[in-house]
Amino acid sequence: MGPLDGINVLDLSDPKGHFAGKLLAGLGADVIKIESPDGDVGRSYGPFLEDQPGPERSLYWWHYAGGKRSVALDLHSSDGLELFLQLAEQADIVLETWQPGRERPFDPAALSEYCPELVVLSLTPFGQTGPWRDYAWSDGVGIALGGPMGSCGYDNIPGTPPIRPTEHHAGHIAGYFAATGACAALYERQQSGIGQHIDIAMHECLGFTIESSAPWALYEQHPLIRQAGRHAGPQPTEPWQYPTADGRLINIFGMPRSEASWLALVAFIQEHGMGENLSDFELLDGRKRQLGLQQPSVAMMLADIADFIAAHEAQEIYAGAQAAGAAWSIIRTPDECLDDEHWHARGFFVEVEHEERNRTVTFPGAPYILSETPWMHGTRAPMLGEHTAEVLCGQLGLSKDELGALVAAGVAR
Amino acid sequence: MTASEINTRPPLDGVRIVDFTWIVAGPTCTRLLGDLGAEVIRVENEQTLDSIRFGRPHPSGFDPPDSSAMFNWLDRSKRSITVNARHPDGLDLIKRLIRVSDVVVENYSSRILENWGLSFEEQRAENPEIIYVSLSGFGHSGPQRDYSTWGPTAQALSGLTAMSGLPEAPEPAGWGYSYLDHMAGFTAAAAITAALRHRRDTGQGQWIDLSQVETGMALTAPATLDYTVNGRRYRETGNPPGNRSVWPQAAPHNTYPTAGDDNWIMITCTSDAEWETFCNASDHPHWRTDNRFATLPARLRHQDELDEQIGSWTAGQDGRALMQRLQSADVPAGVVQNGVDLVVRDPQMKSRDWTVIRDHPVIGEHLTDGLQIRFSRTPAHRDLPGPPLGEANQYVFSDLLGLSDEHIAELQVNGAMG
Repeated sequence: MGPLDGINVLDLSDPKGHFAGKLLAGLGADVIKIESPDGDVGRSYGPFLEDQPGPERSLYWWHYAGGKRSVALDLHSSDGLELFLQLAEQADIVLETWQPGRERPFDPAALSEYCPELVVLSLTPFGQTGPWRDYAWSDGVGIALGGPMGSCGYDNIPGTPPIRPTEHHAGHIAGYFAATGACAALYERQQSGIGQHIDIAMHECLGFTIESSAPWALYEQHPLIRQAGRHAGPQPTEPWQYPTADGRLINIFGMPRSEASWLALVAFIQEHGMGENLSDFELLDGRKRQLGLQQPSVAMMLADIADFIAAHEAQEIYAGAQAAGAAWSIIRTPDECLDDEHWHARGFFVEVEHEERNRTVTFPGAPYILSETPWMHGTRAPMLGEHTAEVLCGQLGLSKDELGALVAAGVAR
Repeated sequence: MTASEINTRPPLDGVRIVDFTWIVAGPTCTRLLGDLGAEVIRVENEQTLDSIRFGRPHPSGFDPPDSSAMFNWLDRSKRSITVNARHPDGLDLIKRLIRVSDVVVENYSSRILENWGLSFEEQRAENPEIIYVSLSGFGHSGPQRDYSTWGPTAQALSGLTAMSGLPEAPEPAGWGYSYLDHMAGFTAAAAITAALRHRRDTGQGQWIDLSQVETGMALTAPATLDYTVNGRRYRETGNPPGNRSVWPQAAPHNTYPTAGDDNWIMITCTSDAEWETFCNASDHPHWRTDNRFATLPARLRHQDELDEQIGSWTAGQDGRALMQRLQSADVPAGVVQNGVDLVVRDPQMKSRDWTVIRDHPVIGEHLTDGLQIRFSRTPAHRDLPGPPLGEANQYVFSDLLGLSDEHIAELQVNGAMG
């Protein structure tokens, strides 16, 4: 049983809100994904099972719709909208992502008044108000305008643009705010008995993820310099990513702060017959090891460390540095996380039954371990309209004939 | 219910949080919960101050622990007390505070609270309904629980760093800030609010164990599934494609230079319809009929030529004017903004009061930034500045815990409150 056990969610979102809905499902809510009879656009996002596109073959969908049920219903038809409103009267949360000036089947603020106990969660690119509220959007455009991309890129390759991290991060970031807002509103409702309308602008969520760019901008109007593989800063800083003997990269940002940890790291390196200059007494002073200030002591230290890394294999460096208390890391690709026993020991990866394909599939799992109300992947992602009859007939009491007529009219599937 | 009885206090009003967080990940979580109305009490110690209290910039001059803009930005909406948890009387103070609180949050490495005598079981002995959140690099279980992370370490280990960069570059660009510090904080906030909701129904508290690396691995699913389902290792497809699309496939999908130094616009056309609209809105409607660019598969094959042509058209144009022109035609286009742009030049942020002026006892008047969750009835707030060190000692020890003035004076002298 999850912490949102008993909570019913109608998830009307497009890809902007897929992660928000998934978070609610993972916390134990019953999430009904209402998608158009043509299928949610996310079903066309790759990668695909065996590289063959198809509405039931999208691995994006398998993940982001995992644990949800699917009702295929055209909300832009009057019959579809009427059925949705009946469902909304029985629901706790409605999640929607329509931009306010674009064609949308209902006004979320009006829905909130119509169903006062409902939490209406509007997750849109720029919010319900403002001059950009209807700007055409994609994850790339959102990340560009929202600030994160401005800090990412290369200082060492002239003329290159800021770089957008791949995947669907605008939806990831805003998804957490949506889930938090929904849970907070539900918590408040437990006492007041009433719901409300929540306006979440992805743009504003992104603006809270730019770390020190924010205070430098808010207080000094000082932009930061973007740098490869490390923090953008007000001034250039030393590189953190160093190549190993086996063609990998090590990130050395976690340079020890305590003397004990520093001496342990030096001992580890010197056991390999390298790092002679690391014994320099100046480096015993933690301030003389601090990166980012272009200190000569740091240049000397990093030269020795780079040589050591270049002469050894990534796994040995990573394990030895961590054992010494230095938070160094190998730069891994996502698939390599499955090779690390630690995540299996914690039960991070989960096996999900895909009975229609006679197989199980390994998914990334819980972002949090809740001791009493565990996160859950839930059932495999639903096939298009898999639960239409279950919900419209079972929950709303439509007859088979009435549903048949809706399907024939293209309103349901 | 009369209008005056309808609650308009922030949604987490009445929730009290004992906040042992520091650096960025934990404070990100408690800032958000503080904005949502929780009473967040930072438990600090003069011997091991949060290094963010020294973080630049210091707009009114370097005078820590209360002069850092970074701290005031990240730790607003909180109170601060000073306690030495390693002193028996200090530990006793913390236990008393836990008895009258709802949530304990910490992001130390994974054995610190245990060593203090504040394991989950020990917390629960003080308060059976407590919600305890441990946020560490590798979590509190597993063979590598003693490994540690910073944001960049976690990003590298989760796969996120490798997924950002130019295909021909010798190293990934990664993330230019501690993305996973923020995301781990947001993840914790979602878990806490869900757990509070559960507890209000059931009276059941719990332990929420977060690993910062896991919060990152949860964000790489399509690439991970390409391996677990299709058997394809990430590197088999080469490096990440810069600003070109991965999924959904789109072309054009890139940054293009505009007038001035290092200014860029992102243009993305995910369908043939958007591409045609773009061509008509540009000065080059003939692109539409060029065979190389007629369909998405063709555009994907000819991305080099496509990007070159679009780039030579955008170069020299004013980026914001171009964005408006393309957006009037409903083409997804946006300039790359940095933090200063968000604060100074962004009309959308201005129209929604993303920044407001607030006061601080040392820094003075300053801008603080956005509320991300806008509730129609119970709005969040951002009125408390980053707390001066120990500013809430009197409130917490006297008003909340009921200690006498003599007792407080004794604790100040014996080092429990340092």
